[in-house]
Amino acid sequence: MVSDVTDLIDRQKLSYIAAQAADARLNVELETEGMTLNIGPQHPATHGTLRIIARLDGEQVIWADPSAGYMHRGYEKLTEVRTYPQVNTLINRIDWLGSFANEVPFILAAEQLMDIEAPARAQWIRAIFFELSRIANVSLFLGDLGVQLGAITPVFMAFRDREYVLNLIESATGGRFHPNFDRIGGLKDDLPKGWIDETKQVMKKLRNFCDEIETLLFGNEIFQSRTRGIGVIPANVAQSYGLSGANLRASGVDWDLRRDQKIALPYDKVDFKVWTHPDGDAFARCWVRLQETREATLIVDQLLDGIPSGPVMAKVPRIIKVPEGEAYVSTENPLGEMGYYVVSQGDLGPFRVRIRTASFNNISIVPWVLRGVFVPDIITILASLYFILGDIDK
Amino acid sequence: MPKPLTSLFNLGRSYSLWVYQWGLACCAIEMGAAFGSPRYDVMRLGVIPLPASPRQADLVVISGTVTDKMAPAILRLYEQMPEPKYVISMGSCANCGGPYWDSYSVTKGVDQIIPVDVYVPGCPPRPEALLEGVVLLQQRIKNEDMGARWRGEGHKAIVRDPIVVGGGPVE
Amino acid sequence: MTRSWSAVAPLSDTTATTETDVPALPGDGLREGIVAQLRSDIGAGLVDTLVKPGVDVWARVATESWRDAGLALRESGFHYFCFLSAIDWLPSPFGRGEDDPSAPPPERRTEIVQGYTGGSTRFQVFARLTDIQRHVGITIKADVPDDEQVVDSWTSVFAGADWHERETHEMFGISFRGHPDLRNMYLPTDFEGHPLRKDFPLLARIVKPWPGIVDVEPLPGEPEEADTEGNGE
Repeated sequence: MVSDVTDLIDRQKLSYIAAQAADARLNVELETEGMTLNIGPQHPATHGTLRIIARLDGEQVIWADPSAGYMHRGYEKLTEVRTYPQVNTLINRIDWLGSFANEVPFILAAEQLMDIEAPARAQWIRAIFFELSRIANVSLFLGDLGVQLGAITPVFMAFRDREYVLNLIESATGGRFHPNFDRIGGLKDDLPKGWIDETKQVMKKLRNFCDEIETLLFGNEIFQSRTRGIGVIPANVAQSYGLSGANLRASGVDWDLRRDQKIALPYDKVDFKVWTHPDGDAFARCWVRLQETREATLIVDQLLDGIPSGPVMAKVPRIIKVPEGEAYVSTENPLGEMGYYVVSQGDLGPFRVRIRTASFNNISIVPWVLRGVFVPDIITILASLYFILGDIDK
Repeated sequence: MPKPLTSLFNLGRSYSLWVYQWGLACCAIEMGAAFGSPRYDVMRLGVIPLPASPRQADLVVISGTVTDKMAPAILRLYEQMPEPKYVISMGSCANCGGPYWDSYSVTKGVDQIIPVDVYVPGCPPRPEALLEGVVLLQQRIKNEDMGARWRGEGHKAIVRDPIVVGGGPVE
Repeated sequence: MTRSWSAVAPLSDTTATTETDVPALPGDGLREGIVAQLRSDIGAGLVDTLVKPGVDVWARVATESWRDAGLALRESGFHYFCFLSAIDWLPSPFGRGEDDPSAPPPERRTEIVQGYTGGSTRFQVFARLTDIQRHVGITIKADVPDDEQVVDSWTSVFAGADWHERETHEMFGISFRGHPDLRNMYLPTDFEGHPLRKDFPLLARIVKPWPGIVDVEPLPGEPEEADTEGNGE
């Protein structure tokens, strides 16, 4: 497995050296100087306001420096002046595509500190919405992936199929995204009548969407040659930078927080496969995400079949004061591992919340992975790493 | 200017807006759904979503949180647009700072930097709300006094009562 | 369900393989064993620990052993770098920014009380590492000296600590000895102050009185009472 990765790196290096040698044969006496290319902060191919300053030598990158902070809203300071329910509303907006998934680790951390257990029905519904937010998030990724590589069609399909999921979320919670549905001790409301059957229909549609994208985009020769062998990240580098989610699994590390960590959500009661890929290149990352989306639809089907009946909210005081303590809870969010380290000193609001976002770590590897890469591959690698600016910048 | 000619020009301008999407945060996704998805299609209103550069755009939709670091870029974009131009501020972050009104790094509303014609409230506003904002703007364009623009007063002088979506009829 | 493309076969075998040799741990109990291993690695550098069985483990190390602790944990299996940041334990002199400017300033707690595993300084750096083989995470803390806020950098131990230390530096003002390039991560270069310090005020809350002080409606069915808690429902 490791030798395959080094083979890939060697092949990549050889191809670059060959390209440079060809260049050199042609321009043997041309004196050139490096150029500084500024990608962003507003660029159709960055998922928001990320600015990358790249120093180029011809078409190759010598060094690249991402400059984040164009969407820095000061979340960690704002949580110190808000109460727990208000923080819940605010953190919906960190990863703004799969919003429900942002609330879950914070609520679980607060429940851990308060020693409250939400009823079983609430945990199952939370898991269903968690997977729905994953599907909504990654289906947009699949559409955007096409756009960034030049294929415009998948974006319209992605938006169309995402509307089904957003309709489901809206019919249950009232908000298309930013549902703000989770509460300490359970959920705001129960599911409306007929929601379960409709969700099953929508899951079938989404499986069709995944199949369509797989043949349309992943089976395309141009896509294959643009993503295979590009941006290889070996497993040990991925771990030392703290990559998570599909990025880590595409480098061959079998780590999924839903399966490998004791968490209140009922993932131990459903059967699902954790997809990994040993190559660690851009294709692997995109492929793993596609498989995970399809897997998420299967998980939702299983969860729908097994929802227990009962209340959706535990007995919780009206004014929530969390006792003193510290807790860290992280979950397998659509973008990766997202966690909240909540420090409480017995007040109405938290004392300090450290928000560990997946994209911050995912993008910290960009200076390392973009060395020696050609300019069109910069966009491919960024697309495959998949970040959301609100997640990087908090 | 004779009235029929003015109304003809206004009609033409209101139904052929090229809109530059300055999508920053969550509202950008709803803007993408309004502009790019087949369901809330914006092209039926005559608005075309993807100009190649701000220098070819008539309308800019600022959607998402404006931070202090990003503000100079927005001003630069606004200066790059040629007259006549219109600005829609979408979402509560762009209107007034929104949920981050007390943050140290957020500009409390994009109207601190550029003049705004239409405010679309919501967090995020539904795509239909954004389309309503565009429709109200089109109504206002149809009733616009072209003379003021030709006297050289530009966009900053034109914006006198901004429209708020959901705030009543517009003349 | 997975269609196979006729043109291309996957580059390599796509089934996952996991490492099966896990080093044996001293002591009984997974988390107790981790603490014992750390103690044997850095000796007196380990100042205090807290183990919540089945939940989590915290450890506080001396400031001089901050980097050695990271290295020791990495050697004993914690290869995954989760995050690194700091905590300012000073209670905020502005409370939660809800003071009524017409009323006299309320009494507030001013002594510094640290959290789990104690501490003796106002600032503490803390980091979290995960061991993927044994499915366990650990939180390590260290005091930051009050007179000169400098600790060793972890960039030579974990490459990912680079960005986290930059963010901690700009938010708290803590310097990291040995960091290659300690410049601002999020804030513009000319930003003055360190925002996450508790004495950095949120000016919007001070300049205007917080709107939730007055005009708080009671819930339907509740008796009318003057409620200055401010958080409504």
